[in-house]
Amino acid sequence: MTPRRFARLLDIHGADPARWPQACRGAALALLDSSAEARAMRDAAAALDAALRSSLPQPDPAALARMRNRLAHAVAREPLPVPERRLLRWLRPLAPFGAGALVTLMVCGLWLGLPAAPEPDDILGAPRLMAMMELP
Amino acid sequence: MPDTLPFPPFAWEVSIAERPIPLQGPVADAEARLLRDLPAADDATLLRWAAAGDRRAFDQLAGRHLPMLYRVALRITGQPAEAEDVAQEALLRLWRHAARFDPARSQLGTWLYRITANLAIDRVRRVAAQPLERAGELADPALGPEAALAEQQRQALLAAALAELPPRQRAALALSYDQGLSGAEAAAALSVSTRALEGLLRRARHLLSARLRGGGT
Repeated sequence: MTPRRFARLLDIHGADPARWPQACRGAALALLDSSAEARAMRDAAAALDAALRSSLPQPDPAALARMRNRLAHAVAREPLPVPERRLLRWLRPLAPFGAGALVTLMVCGLWLGLPAAPEPDDILGAPRLMAMMELP
Repeated sequence: MPDTLPFPPFAWEVSIAERPIPLQGPVADAEARLLRDLPAADDATLLRWAAAGDRRAFDQLAGRHLPMLYRVALRITGQPAEAEDVAQEALLRLWRHAARFDPARSQLGTWLYRITANLAIDRVRRVAAQPLERAGELADPALGPEAALAEQQRQALLAAALAELPPRQRAALALSYDQGLSGAEAAAALSVSTRALEGLLRRARHLLSARLRGGGT
């Protein structure tokens, strides 16, 4: 593993080797053993991880109790959950096909609804006919 | 009127008198619900009971998931009051959706994370994100005064940098680092590919690192 790839690994997964993908964990740990540059990168990533952890406070138990209480009151005012109709449940997997069919229908409808462009012969047909009638 | 019967009761009369009257209908349902061991039930069982109208089962389920949903919402919005609203709204949607939730199609945790993240992102887009209100108060009391002050300043820098991040990047941090979801789980909760999630995390960490070093992006 190159230092560049190691830096990318830290950027995505942080400094904790337990979060690194199994496929590259061994190579990353080997690089850590051999490279002071890699260790410095790991330390910087670990500092950011620690700062992130400490920046998010644990929820206050009183606040959690208040939320749960308010939620219970809101749920008490709500009607009971309604199961999905059996027909809709069967049809739901077909929804993407249904949407595709709807789009196809709309395109066909537009295509059929547009007036066909007049043929050049139709446009010039009448004057030419008149001219031919006048010739004799 | 004699106090005692002139003859002993028939055996069938005794058996009927001793037999408990079986409860039926709504009364029996209510009694069965009261006898349920809610703390021992797993999430899927609680959700099934909630879908059948058991509000106590739903309360138990909410108690399990509320802390983590609140933390996700707090990371994204930065405001405890907004985070409370978001976590409650997400669980209220679960109640409304309970009878239609199909565990075979999605995991409950992923579903809840997705709803919470989307609600929080919508809120942030309506109102500009603020630094976490409690940031700066978290210095370790065991530190000396100078170290505590330095830690407070670092936390304030980080909070300001987090508020600068786009809400989707904050959501990626919340799910991947705060909640410890795998890349695939976090990506599913945010409805993005794993590669896109990695991009969100990389950009977020770059900006945070730069701000903590006192530099720009």
